[in-house]
Amino acid sequence: MKKALALLLALIMVLSLVACGAGESPAPEAPKADAPAAEAPKADAPAEEPAAEEGKVFRIYAWNEEFKGFFEKYYEVPEGITVEWVINPSDGGVYQDKLDEALLNQANASDDEKIDMFLAEADYILKYTDTEYTQDITALGVTDFSNTYEYTVQAASDSNGVVKGVSFQCCPAALIYRRSVAEAVLGTSEPAEVQELLNSWDKFNAVAADAAAKGYLMTASEAATFRVFSNNTTAPLVNDAGELVLDQAIIDWQAQAKNFADNGYTQTCDIWSDECTAQMFGDGKTMCYFGPAWYFNFSMGNAQDAEKGCYGDWAIVEGPQAHFWGGTWLLAATGSDNPTMLADVMDTFINDEEVCKALIENEAQFTNNQAVNAAYAENPEYGNAFLGGQNDVAVFVELAKNIKFENKTIYDQLLTEGLQGYWREYCDGTVTEDEAMANYYKYINEKYPEIITP
Amino acid sequence: MATTNTSDSRKAKLMMQISQIVVYAILIFLSFMCLFSFYMLIVNSTRSNADLQGGFRLVFSDQFFVNLKNAWTDASIDIPRGMFNSFVIAASSAVLSTYFSALTAYGIHAYRFKLKKAAFTFIMAIMVIPNQVYAVGFYQMCIKLGWTNSFVPLILPGIAAPVVFFYMKQYMESVLPMEIVDAARVDGSGEFYTFNRIILPMLKPALAVQLIFSFVQSWNNYFLPALLLDKAEMKTVPIMIAQLRAADYSKFDMGKVYMFILLAILPVLVVYICLSKYIIKGVTAGSVKG
Amino acid sequence: MKQLSAHKSKSKGVSYAKWGYIFIAPFFITYAIFTLFPQMLTIYNSFFENYRSGLKQVGPNFVGLENYITLFTPDKNGTIDILKYAGNTVVLWIGGAIPQIVIALLLAIFFTSYRLKIRGQQFFKTVIYMPNLIMASAFSMLFYTLFSPVGPVNQALLEWGVLEASFDFFAHKVSVRGMIMLMNFLLWFGNTTILLMAGIMGIEQDLFDAAQIDGANSVKVFFKVTLPLLMPILVYTIITAMIGGLQMFDVPQVLTNGGGTPNRTSMTLIMFLNNYLKTSKNYGMAGAISVIIFIITGILSLVVYRSLTKQDN
Repeated sequence: MKKALALLLALIMVLSLVACGAGESPAPEAPKADAPAAEAPKADAPAEEPAAEEGKVFRIYAWNEEFKGFFEKYYEVPEGITVEWVINPSDGGVYQDKLDEALLNQANASDDEKIDMFLAEADYILKYTDTEYTQDITALGVTDFSNTYEYTVQAASDSNGVVKGVSFQCCPAALIYRRSVAEAVLGTSEPAEVQELLNSWDKFNAVAADAAAKGYLMTASEAATFRVFSNNTTAPLVNDAGELVLDQAIIDWQAQAKNFADNGYTQTCDIWSDECTAQMFGDGKTMCYFGPAWYFNFSMGNAQDAEKGCYGDWAIVEGPQAHFWGGTWLLAATGSDNPTMLADVMDTFINDEEVCKALIENEAQFTNNQAVNAAYAENPEYGNAFLGGQNDVAVFVELAKNIKFENKTIYDQLLTEGLQGYWREYCDGTVTEDEAMANYYKYINEKYPEIITP
Repeated sequence: MATTNTSDSRKAKLMMQISQIVVYAILIFLSFMCLFSFYMLIVNSTRSNADLQGGFRLVFSDQFFVNLKNAWTDASIDIPRGMFNSFVIAASSAVLSTYFSALTAYGIHAYRFKLKKAAFTFIMAIMVIPNQVYAVGFYQMCIKLGWTNSFVPLILPGIAAPVVFFYMKQYMESVLPMEIVDAARVDGSGEFYTFNRIILPMLKPALAVQLIFSFVQSWNNYFLPALLLDKAEMKTVPIMIAQLRAADYSKFDMGKVYMFILLAILPVLVVYICLSKYIIKGVTAGSVKG
Repeated sequence: MKQLSAHKSKSKGVSYAKWGYIFIAPFFITYAIFTLFPQMLTIYNSFFENYRSGLKQVGPNFVGLENYITLFTPDKNGTIDILKYAGNTVVLWIGGAIPQIVIALLLAIFFTSYRLKIRGQQFFKTVIYMPNLIMASAFSMLFYTLFSPVGPVNQALLEWGVLEASFDFFAHKVSVRGMIMLMNFLLWFGNTTILLMAGIMGIEQDLFDAAQIDGANSVKVFFKVTLPLLMPILVYTIITAMIGGLQMFDVPQVLTNGGGTPNRTSMTLIMFLNNYLKTSKNYGMAGAISVIIFIITGILSLVVYRSLTKQDN
C-alpha cells in the first residue's frame, strides 16, 4: 500500500519534472487572440505599425481574472506585442502594495518591465489618478467620452480634470433577490411589487423579521448591506484634517448589522466567505444579496451551478437605497512604452460597439457605453436567463442615473475591510463595542499612520 | 510500564501486553491525526468545486484528473513554473546551507584558533533570532541592490544557517575522531581535500538529514519570498497558494485549489518517503552524546 | 557546551589555525551581509518616522525614541499592545511546545525500548514526520475548512447531537488558540521525536543494563539515567522549539486571515510586525518592534544558556 502510494507519487513527480523542463524556456503564452475567436467580434483591427518604436511587452497589473478574460476574448493584440499580466490578490491590500512598488520603480525599470496599464477599483482609484504615476489619456488619443457615464470619467480624472483612464463597465448596484424566497416571505416575486415592499430601510428591517419568522435569512452576511449605506454617506471616511469620522450612514449600518445578527436575520461572516456564498445554492435560505452586474455574473457562481444552483430563480430591483459598488478602471501608467496600444485598448472597451454588445450578450456586463446599453434596455427580446428573463440592462439604465462619485478617499478599501471585520466580532458577541472600535483604530494605525483615530 | 523486579513473570507479561496496547493506541491515534490531513487533501482534490462548496465527504470523487488538468494549465497561476522556481531556490539553498554549515562546523571542530570559542558562542547566540526581525533592513537592502525579483537573496543567505551548523557540530562531536584528520595530514592531504574527500563522506547521514530539512524549510518558506518576488514567472509555490486563496472569490475553483496544494507538497513528500529510511537512520546514527 | 573542551587537537608543530578562520569565513561573511547589516539597518530605522502614505513617502525623519514610546503607550482600555501580543505568542508557543516535547519524549522512549518491541516502527516514524512537509499556510487552510461554520467538524457535531447550533470556532479565544496549538503540535512533534530518538540511542546500552541489574524500575531508569544523559539534545529541541515559537507567523496568520481574531488574542509578535511592513511600509514602527523582539529573544536565550551551563557543570 505504502509502496503503491509512493509509486503513484513518484510518477506524478516525474511528470512534473518533465513539464518543468518543458516550461524552462518560458515561451510566453501567445495571447489567445484567435482561440475563442469563434463568437468574438474582432475589434476593428487596430492595424498600427507597432514594434517599430514601441515596446514589445504590454504589461498589465490586475487583481483578478475578470478583465483578463474579456481582454483575451475581445481585444486583438497587435502583432509583435506580448501581453504580460501581473495578478496579485486584492485582499488585505496586497495588490495595491505590489502595484505601488512597481509604480515607484517605473522610472528605473527597463522598457519591457514598465507597467503600461493597471486596473484600479473605485475604493482606491483616487490614490492613483491624482499622482504623476498616471498619464493624460486624451493626449494619447482617447477623446471620445460621449457615450460613457459621466461618473466613470470623473472617477478617473485628477483634481484638475485631466482624464487618466476609463472603465469598461458601469456599476449601479441592485438588490438581488431570490424569487422563490420572496414568494414565500412577501407573497410575490414580481420585481415591481417586491420593490414596493422593500423600498426603505424601515420596510427592509421589518421584512427581515418576517423572513426570520418563516425560517429564512434576509441576507447571508451582516455586511451584505454595507455598500448600500457606505455609498450614501454625506462625507468621506477621512476628513480634510486627516481624522477618521464615521458618517451617520455607517453608524446606521452598524446598528442594523448588530440588530440582524442578534435576531438571527443574517449570518455573521465575511461577504466573500464560504458561509455566505453557500447560501447561494438551491438549498440556501437567503433572500437578498446586493450588487451590480459583476456581482451576479462573477461572484454568484454557486447560484449558477448546474447541479446545485438555482439558475433563473433570481431578480433585481433598486432596493432601499440607490447605490453603486466597485467597478474596474483601466489606468494609463506614466512611462508606458506602448502608448498606441494603450489608447487603443481603452478606446475599444468604451467605444467599440461590437465589443460592448458582446460584453452584454456573452458576459452579462452592464457596459460603459450608454448607446449600447439603451439599445438592449429597449429591446423587448433581451432578457437575462439567470434573472428569470428579466431585462437587467433596463433596470441598470435607470439606476445608473443616480450614481455620483463622491466622498471617496484613497483609504476606502482597507478602512472598509477593517470596519466590517472588527465590527463582526461585536456582532458575534466576542467583544464589547468599545473593544471592537479600539481594535479597529489599532488596525488603522498600523495600515495608515497618517490617519488620526479617535 | 512493566516492572522487572517482580517475581511473578505472568503478571509482568500481562503488564507488558497492556502497555503495548496503550502504546499502539497512542501511535495509531497520532498517525491517524497526521494522515488525516493528507487524506482530506487527496479526497478534496478529487472533488468538483460545487461538490466541495456543499460540504465535507470522506469518499473519493471522480474529478481528480479534471482538477489536475485545470490546475496544471491554469493561465495565471503557472504551477509548473512555480514548482521549478521553488525547486531551484530550495535545492540551491539546501545544498549551500548543508555544505557550508558542515564546513563551518568542521572549522570550529577541527582547528584550534584564538577566536574559536568566541565564534562558537556567537553562532549559538544568533541562532535564536527570528528571521523576520531583520526583514525591514533586508528588504530595504534588496531594493537598493535591485534584488527584488531575484533568487539571490533567497539562496545565498543559506550559507549562514546557525541551526544546521549546530546540528553538524553536534554530529561531528560524536562521530568524527580527530585521528582521521591527523592521519590524512600525515599522508600529505591538503586541508580542503581532507574536508571534501574524507570528512564529508563520513558525514553523509547528517548531510542527508539536513539536506531534506533545509529543502523542506525553504520549499515552504513564504515570508521573505512573498516580500521580494512579484513577477509571475518568479513566484514560488507558497506565494501561488496564498494568491489562490485570496484570488477571485467565488469564481475560483476549490477543487483546483486543493490540487494545487497537493502538487505543492508532492515533491517533498516523494523525496521524503523515498529517503525516510535513510533519514531516520541518519538522525539515529548521528546520536548526540551528553 | 562541554564538547568544546572534549577534544584536544593532537596536531603539533604546524599551525593549522589559519584554516579554522578560512573554513568559518564564508559563514561569517554571509552572515554579515545578509543578516548583520540588515539588522543594523533595522535598528537604525527604528529611530525614524518613515512610512508610505498612498504613493508618497513620509520621512525618514529622525524622531528619537518616539516609536518606542508609541509602542509602550497603553490604549484607552489600558492594554499595552505589544505586551499583549508577546503574551499571546508565549501562550501559543507553550501550549504547542509542552505537549510536543512530552509526547515526542514518550514516543522516542517507545521506539527505542527493546522490551516493547514495537512493530511497524518504520511506518510510524515516517508518518509522524509527514505533517512537517506540508507548508504551514496550506495546513492552516485545511484546518480552516475543517472547522469553518459550514465545515465537517460542525456538521459532524450537529449530526451526533453534540451541538444544537453550529459553533463558530473562529469567534472564541479558546478554540482559535486551541487550533493553533494543535496545528503547531502536529507540525512539529514528529521532528522532535526523531531528534530525541537519536539522543536516546546515543546513550550507552550498558548504562541501562547496569541500572536494571541494580533493580531500578523503568520510571527510575528514565529519570536517573535517560533524562540526564538526554539533556543536551533536549535543550537543543527546546531551543529550536523556542525559535519556532517566537517566529510563529504562518499558522495564525492564515488561520485568522491576518486578523489574530478574536479580539486580537491570537495575534503574535511577528504578525504585529507584519502589519506594519505591509501597506504603510512603516519601517520606523516595524524597526522598533523588531528591536523589541530582538531584546526578548536575547533575554530568553540568556536564560536558556544559563540553565544549559548549569547542566553542564
